Amino acid sequence: MIRFILADLRRYKAGALAVIVLIALSVALSVTVTLQERAVRLGSARAADKFDLLVGAAGSETQLALSAVFLQPSPLPLMSGGVLAKLSKDPRVEFAAPVGFGDSADGHPVVGTTTPLVSALSPVLSEGRLFARLGDAVVGSDVPKRLGTQIKPMHGTAEEGGHTHTQIAYRVTGRMAATGTAWDRAILVPIRAVWQLHGMTPREEHDPMEEATEADDHVHDQEAHVESDAPVDEHFDADTPGVPAVLVKPKTVADAYRLRQDYRGETTLAVFPGEVLTRLYATLGDARSLLLAIATGTQAIVAAAVLLVAIMHIGTRQRQIGALRAFGAPRRSIVAIVSGELFVLFLTGFGLGILIGQIAARLISAALTATTAVRMPVEFAREDIFLAAWFVALMMVIAIVPALFSLRTSPARALRV
Amino acid sequence: MLALDIADLTMRFTGLDAPVLSIERLHLPAGGQLAVTGASGSGKSTLVNAVTGLETVTNGTIRWGETDIARLAVSRRDAFRAAHIGLVMQDFHLFPGLSALENVVLPVRLSRRLRPAERERALELLDTVGIARHDQTVETLSRGEMQRVAVARAVLARPGVIVADEPTASLDAGAGKGIADLLVQLAEAEGASLLVVTHDPVLMERLGRRIELAGGRIIEDRMEARAA
Repeated sequence: MIRFILADLRRYKAGALAVIVLIALSVALSVTVTLQERAVRLGSARAADKFDLLVGAAGSETQLALSAVFLQPSPLPLMSGGVLAKLSKDPRVEFAAPVGFGDSADGHPVVGTTTPLVSALSPVLSEGRLFARLGDAVVGSDVPKRLGTQIKPMHGTAEEGGHTHTQIAYRVTGRMAATGTAWDRAILVPIRAVWQLHGMTPREEHDPMEEATEADDHVHDQEAHVESDAPVDEHFDADTPGVPAVLVKPKTVADAYRLRQDYRGETTLAVFPGEVLTRLYATLGDARSLLLAIATGTQAIVAAAVLLVAIMHIGTRQRQIGALRAFGAPRRSIVAIVSGELFVLFLTGFGLGILIGQIAARLISAALTATTAVRMPVEFAREDIFLAAWFVALMMVIAIVPALFSLRTSPARALRV
Repeated sequence: MLALDIADLTMRFTGLDAPVLSIERLHLPAGGQLAVTGASGSGKSTLVNAVTGLETVTNGTIRWGETDIARLAVSRRDAFRAAHIGLVMQDFHLFPGLSALENVVLPVRLSRRLRPAERERALELLDTVGIARHDQTVETLSRGEMQRVAVARAVLARPGVIVADEPTASLDAGAGKGIADLLVQLAEAEGASLLVVTHDPVLMERLGRRIELAGGRIIEDRMEARAA
């Protein structure tokens, strides 16, 4: 029987190939949409995992969450440094770390922060040590800089026509372990270095005279001297300069909700990044529904096409079926041969489609990871089995029903075709 | 070896007033040989389809031995044909892509496992019909050789009757004569009855009896002087 099917397939090679391609492409489309949506959802959920609560200046919640989680360069309004000081001393807070964006080096975001955040992202560094002096930097796992390398930060990004800060060159002292988040592409430096670089110093140290001299001395009047060798100081008070965002690690879930309540005010904004992302996924989910609807529509068209193929397949074999019956092949073997052959084509196309879809999803994920550093896991889930089973069942019906119908004509009539 | 008894057989096609076939009585003794002839449209093919069970019969009886195939359900009829009737057709109906041997054993193989003895017999039959290369794919054979393979296939299951529908019509004279010889020789050797629809005088004169159909009725039924 297998030999018979193979011989028949050899005769109709081109047609068989066309059927396989047709099914493979439509299945691949659905598989890619499903897997990719899941990859983006899981990937960004995991990326947001380490960010419990974000506090920033009043503005866009989404922008705040995206900036902190994905390190998207965007001009966030600054929030008074007093908030950071207050949060640091709050008993409900395990740690509060400032997040100062804006600079970049070789396309990598330079983020000013404190050591607790580095430790939260990477409890154990993959090499080196945390920053201890203002001129030290800890790089993310995807930053191609060796320990000891100098990093010259640039204000903004090269694409935006930013200028290079000349007052400081950070020295890489440590590297974080991979986190699978956008922070793998980041260069983490002491927040005070960022402040000093941008001429933002605590008020009490602000001597008007000094400022004037500096303005004369430096090309960039906004920029001040950075004491690269000064030790890192992670105590903040009311005079602390402003920061765009503070990442807060609350002690308990209840604390998290209370803190969010407390810092939702006229001047500050508190968000759970996970929640903001969930809201984004709802939008993304709509896009996914649309894509899936398109994919389903495509599949309906393909199912119709496959039905047509099945009917034509049977039609061209009408004589053959008649002859098989005339020479005494039992009906069950005829149904098995005719629908078996179709089913083999369908199944091949289906398998190929899953493979192509998976490869496509992986390529897209790899491209996304390359630009965002957020790992997008392409993986199948349990619910996919039901979908697949359903599709296979449908293909079986499409393969068998026309074969059964073909047996209704008498062999004599089938032979006359 | 099966005897054929037809009684009150009427076959009609929808849209036609006159029956395409109307046979009150026809008897072929077991082991007998019969040529059926007649102009095109005379009902020859309908007769073949009726006696082989390829077409459903609604009026009359067609008895092969003790079995009235007009009373059998379609699947039983298919099974009866597989077991007792060896078919040879004008268009051979071999399956391309398969070898001569595979074609001979295909009907058996599609219903169950092929026994070693059956395989042996298939090989012998191929030798008997003159196909030396058993593994040659059938589409590379000449038409005469294709029909020889078809004859071997028809007798593999030791049928009680061989029914051939214009077996030589699409062959040249030489190949046709070879097939005519084979059919008669194998039917006798295997002890099968032989019913052949044909226009071929060479084939007709090899068979003992000839009936002629016109308008679906038997207009002539005579025994031929058997050619030596």
